[in-house]
Amino acid sequence: MKKGTAKRDIRYVRYLIVTLVLLLLFAALIALNIGIGSIKISLGDVLKAGTIEYDILWKVRLPRMVAGIILGGALALSGFLLQTFFNNPIASPFVLGISSGAKLVVALVMVFVLSKGSTVNSATMVLSAFVGAMLSMGFVLLIARRVKRASVLIISGVMIGYICSAITDFIITFASDESIVNLHHWSQGSFSGTSWGDVRVMAIVVLIASVFTFTLSKPIGAYQLGEQYAQSVGVNIKTFRIILVLLSSILCASVTAFAGPISFVGVAVPHLIKAFTRTSKPHIVIPLCFLGGAVFCLGCDLIARTVYAPVEMSISSVSSLFGAPIVIWIMARRVARD
Amino acid sequence: MEYFFKTENLTVGYDGKPIVNNIDVSIKKGQILSLIGPNGSGKSTILKSITKQLKVIDGVVFLSGSPINDINSRDMARRAAVVLTERPKPELMTCGDVVAIGRYPYTGMLGILSASDKEKINEALCLVNALDLKDRCFSEVSDGQLQRIMLARAICQEPEIIILDEPVSFLDIRYAVEILDILRRMASERGVTVIMSLHELNYAKRVSDRVMCVKDGYMLHLDTPEAVFTKEIISRLYDLSDGVYAELFGGL
Repeated sequence: MKKGTAKRDIRYVRYLIVTLVLLLLFAALIALNIGIGSIKISLGDVLKAGTIEYDILWKVRLPRMVAGIILGGALALSGFLLQTFFNNPIASPFVLGISSGAKLVVALVMVFVLSKGSTVNSATMVLSAFVGAMLSMGFVLLIARRVKRASVLIISGVMIGYICSAITDFIITFASDESIVNLHHWSQGSFSGTSWGDVRVMAIVVLIASVFTFTLSKPIGAYQLGEQYAQSVGVNIKTFRIILVLLSSILCASVTAFAGPISFVGVAVPHLIKAFTRTSKPHIVIPLCFLGGAVFCLGCDLIARTVYAPVEMSISSVSSLFGAPIVIWIMARRVARD
Repeated sequence: MEYFFKTENLTVGYDGKPIVNNIDVSIKKGQILSLIGPNGSGKSTILKSITKQLKVIDGVVFLSGSPINDINSRDMARRAAVVLTERPKPELMTCGDVVAIGRYPYTGMLGILSASDKEKINEALCLVNALDLKDRCFSEVSDGQLQRIMLARAICQEPEIIILDEPVSFLDIRYAVEILDILRRMASERGVTVIMSLHELNYAKRVSDRVMCVKDGYMLHLDTPEAVFTKEIISRLYDLSDGVYAELFGGL
């Protein structure tokens, strides 16, 4: 009995350590993101109004950084929800083609609106991304209904992603000159050019969706034991599945609308969090996923904008470099275990 | 006569296509009912239908007098627990975590376990002699240990009825007897009603109060084990020739 209690105490110590390490990384990355760039800014400049540094910081770097935090968290949660839904550790908005679907509809709307000479506001962007995400999700669900094999689902998702990206490329190539630059940049995935107005919209959408996700911890925990056991302890499976689909699509849509598709964060972060905490308890994993996603995206964005400064890399290139090996690791471990 | 579990003219199947028709069965509180019959005769379909996992095609299932369709999901979960044939494969869950899912219908919005919930989890683990497995990773335990954990999960749901689909298949005789003894004890000491499908006829004979024989879309017999386990009925149920019956069940 005593041994058991000690073992459980160790578990909580581990959760605490993982949280502290993430918070430390988070703080360090915030400091680095403020300081590093084409102009060096010291932390003391944050409050010195009137200087160029102050302007760069408050108009460029801070909104971009906050966007990275919010959207990184959203991506990781969206991935976690999809992994729960499909009971598949590699499911994520990017792998299943949901980001690409969102990207396609946003590109369509943007080209159409820009050709009329007006501009697109951020709420419209989120809405069109949501429509696109739901369309892709619809396809994925249709396939999932017909074939039960997880590998087929993933391959179909990747193909849907390619099809959507190809159509997006066609649209962008034929778009009028002045909108191309913006569109092209966005469709590669980037946090650059985020305004405080964008941040406000994404903060509202993502925070509401994230808090709602946390309140689903209880049914998610039961669902991990399988649909039938979840139903037998009182989870309303139909409603629960619909909510999971809607929430993951909303979270993925807000990311795509503002930053374009960002690859592999949705798989890598939940996996790393579970590996470090050695638990899949939603109460623990959901908040840590959000924090982990924020850290991951802050780190990737820092690399994306500094390695070849002043030229920026797309954030997807950086996140793939770190995320894709993790996916291979997950699959290799699974095959080894089965 | 007060019956705890009762079906009236129950027809079950998938997508509106009946598999087993017109089942009328009633059992009292604390009794054990076993379903036997050849593979594919519809035993699992019946079990899924009486736990509301599958929509019934016709007829009514009653649980202590109320039709199960009138019972909401939380109340249903507080009354009926299941042990299924599928092996759950949760990631990174300890056996204690799995058993704790049984407290779902009793915990609040966020599912935080209270001290009494934790006590019930330990109690259920003790009942199945698996307290030492509490902190073990669920995906690493053996078949026999797994089935005890799944039973503890059902017990800690504090149900009035436990429904099990082939609970002792794949288990060696020691584990099988242990599981059935626990069920027997739950039934006699706590008045828990048990309904299960069994392939092993000797176990069915040993543990059941009532035995239901299912074949070719109908319930052929429903009676006490003594009445059912006769050469005529069993041979007919499984299409056995006389010689085979004598060879296999001579000792029954």
